[in-house]
Amino acid sequence: MTSTSAPLYEVRNVSKQYGAVVALDNVSMALYPGEVVGLVGDNGAGKSTLVKCLSGAHQPTSGTVLLDGVERHWKSPHDAIEAGIETLYQDSGLAPHLSVSANVFLGREVLKPGILGKLGFLAQKSMDATAYAELERVGIAVPSSRRSVAQLSGGQRQAVAIGRAVTWARKVIILDEPTNHLGARQAGEVLQVIRAAKAEGLGVIFISHTLPHVLDVTDRVVVLRLGKVVRDAPTSEFSADTLLGTITGLIDT
Amino acid sequence: MSTTATPGATVEPGSKSHGRSRLLGIVSNQQVLLLIVWLAMIGLFTALNRIFFSVDVAGNVLLDWGPVVLIALAETFVVVSGGIDLSVGAVIGLSGVVAAYVMQDMTTKGQGQWPTLLVGLVVALAVGAIVGLTNALLINKARLVPFIATLATLGAAGGLSIVLTGGSPIGGGPPNAIELSVPWFGPFSTPVLIVVVIVVLCWLALHKARLGRYTYAIGSNSFAARAAGINVQRHLTKVYVLSGVLSSLAGMFLYLRLGSGAPTSGAGMELDAIAAVVIGGAALSGGVGKVTGTVLGALILTTVTSGLIIIGVAPNWKQVVVAVLIAVAVAVQGFRRNEGASA
Amino acid sequence: MLGLRTSSSAVRGLVIAGAASVVLAACGSSTPAPSTSSAAPESSAPAKSLTIAFVMGAEADPFFKAMKVGAEAEAAAKGVTLIWQGDPSQYSPATQIPFVDQVLAQHPDGLVLIPTDPDALQASVAKATAAGIPVVNVDTHVTDLTDVLSFITGDNTDGGAKAADAMAAAIGYTDGGKYKVVVGLTSATATTNVARLEGFKAAIASKYPGIEIVDVAYSQSQPATANTNVSNWLTKYPDLNGIFAIDGTNATGAASALQAKGLTGKVALVGYDAYPDNVAKIKAGIFTALIAQDPAAEAKQAIDDLVQFITTKDKAGIVHEVVIPNVVLDKNTSDADLAKYTYVS
Repeated sequence: MTSTSAPLYEVRNVSKQYGAVVALDNVSMALYPGEVVGLVGDNGAGKSTLVKCLSGAHQPTSGTVLLDGVERHWKSPHDAIEAGIETLYQDSGLAPHLSVSANVFLGREVLKPGILGKLGFLAQKSMDATAYAELERVGIAVPSSRRSVAQLSGGQRQAVAIGRAVTWARKVIILDEPTNHLGARQAGEVLQVIRAAKAEGLGVIFISHTLPHVLDVTDRVVVLRLGKVVRDAPTSEFSADTLLGTITGLIDT
Repeated sequence: MSTTATPGATVEPGSKSHGRSRLLGIVSNQQVLLLIVWLAMIGLFTALNRIFFSVDVAGNVLLDWGPVVLIALAETFVVVSGGIDLSVGAVIGLSGVVAAYVMQDMTTKGQGQWPTLLVGLVVALAVGAIVGLTNALLINKARLVPFIATLATLGAAGGLSIVLTGGSPIGGGPPNAIELSVPWFGPFSTPVLIVVVIVVLCWLALHKARLGRYTYAIGSNSFAARAAGINVQRHLTKVYVLSGVLSSLAGMFLYLRLGSGAPTSGAGMELDAIAAVVIGGAALSGGVGKVTGTVLGALILTTVTSGLIIIGVAPNWKQVVVAVLIAVAVAVQGFRRNEGASA
Repeated sequence: MLGLRTSSSAVRGLVIAGAASVVLAACGSSTPAPSTSSAAPESSAPAKSLTIAFVMGAEADPFFKAMKVGAEAEAAAKGVTLIWQGDPSQYSPATQIPFVDQVLAQHPDGLVLIPTDPDALQASVAKATAAGIPVVNVDTHVTDLTDVLSFITGDNTDGGAKAADAMAAAIGYTDGGKYKVVVGLTSATATTNVARLEGFKAAIASKYPGIEIVDVAYSQSQPATANTNVSNWLTKYPDLNGIFAIDGTNATGAASALQAKGLTGKVALVGYDAYPDNVAKIKAGIFTALIAQDPAAEAKQAIDDLVQFITTKDKAGIVHEVVIPNVVLDKNTSDADLAKYTYVS
């Protein structure tokens, strides 16, 4: 259901070099509201670098990043987060020693009203309640939002991490390998959350090695190889075989 | 969205299991265990010599506890953030010595006790803040790991206080300053009461305020903290400066206790701080630690010191007792971690 | 003696060792530069200017600072070039041996060595002797003194005995009376501590049988720990008569504990080591007496011995083992003497 409206988030001719190594070479891609774009490629194809440029963790060497048609220069992940872009990094999105609600509110803590808030005191009860309600709203339930993340199962952690991203994202969600290490049922539930985010009109960038998941949930697929976009087409044009062939280069583009 | 998709284990917003887990929590709670150990120690020492259970001895223990808990609190913030600060003991010496020189000068010029002590305090705090800032710069900008960075400042601060003094204690400050260390409220003296207030402030900062939340987040997963938009470097700067400032307060405390600033004051006390923090249940890998645990850890260490003197056992045994306590603390932690993993 | 000369635990030694190397690195040289002080030859100077290397224990210790002053004065008087070397803060053979190797490479005419370990430094003495460089030991000595020209030391056992005399006088000892005293030590193994305690105990046994040493404890180089020890003793023994604080660290801790408990002058305090702050406390009546060493005199004797041997190649008149007695400072000591024996800082 690719929209014909203006792109929500876009990179144009972005390159990224680390010294002599060219990680991204003149990459352009666009994401529309309510669209799920799959970003695939072999190891070293440039997926992680592109994610870092999109999330504000790294700055491109050249090229432009546009949000709602306006050129942006993220100096840190904080800038991108403020602009409504949430990123879920592979395997390391949460602080395990903190509670579920502390993780959901990490970096956006709610302070107590009045003078106590000015002194930096946290409104913990209100955050606990809100975190529980918000996670439930996006389709994730945890036993208690006061429980520490370390006490959750791998699937629950991933759910909290995704729920956190969906809760806060106002425009774009970037999910780096969100179904990694998950069982079939749990992965299916993650895909369900992605569909829900899409239904809310968010743009989703879905990075995965698990091609059936990509074919299942995305509207469009962007294939990277050696830092270049080699294919950018609606998901309907791919089969599992052709997608794999495009990634590995067996199918000539 | 109305469907409830739950990856992972079963969902139970359960309040039923809550009550039982709370009871289990109390039993396996390190703070409660520490309190039991501490009370048992008091009982044992009292049984061996009645004099131990007296306001006088409690006063001695608390005077000992003051500086130890201050640097242990400093270490708690740093350890929770995933780092370590080896310079806390050296800051005691350097801040005490520099403040002692300033106070000696003011006293020679006929200044009164209170203005002199106030200026001395400000100077000490400034020394602590500078060492803390240096640690932060070495960690954030020079990219040294905290162990190496603070080992460097330990050497520099320790060396500087010896260079400044030639190794001798510096006296000649307000002549009656030592009397401030005399207990007047039961076993509590004014410096100890101030330390109690600082303990409460540290508890609020670490457990109830954003400062503490960020400290835990960085120690737990600094990548996640950075990804969540937290300015990790700026926060670590705050943590190390706070550590330096708390250590310099310990330096001032020892000045009031000894009536002089000695360059050897605090030498090696970083090990006491780390021991108190570890006994208190903190993990040197970061993200774990509590002010209550640290307070009890420091109390246990200093109770052992005085207790062994009172019962007439060579205080070298303290090292053995501390070693056993650390081993037990680490074992309890491992037990709890396994428990958590299987939960 | 300053606590840094004894490391109470292996871990602490490790930390200090690291710290010391950092200090050296911070000075911008991997091999520490010697602090050389040459003096204008005087009329009594030999034709060729002699160079004497002096490798001491720990630069930071006021004891060695005072020794340096004495060494420099005597070097100037004899027209000798002095190479003063040693670790900034750590009293340890591991850090000292490289310093010895380094000064021997400069081929001095003589070496004054304060061995930080009797066995570990034996090889260094042999190395110097093999190179034709005569060696004098000061303060402490290597196990085998055969190759050593002379050994000059302060008499810590005698100092302990003098402390017992001062204590007996302070508590108004009379035969038949019963008195309780405690001794604050730094560690159970520090040789100076051991010798002083031995002398103290021997004098009490022979001359003051009414005095009982009811407790000893260790401060581990921490004045605050010394304070805690004494504070608890004052609680434990309400009828305590006196405290013997065996070194500077314990003296500082004991003095502050007495002050805080308001027992200054009521409990006798005999201290050791003439730190300026402690000397000032003699006048204030906090210290009944302070026993002081004379490191400057030790250094003077060492340089005199070496100069004589190097210039005359004759050992005649050089005493192989010299003991420089400790002195007692109390409220009757003249200001001039107080100033003379106060360790410089």
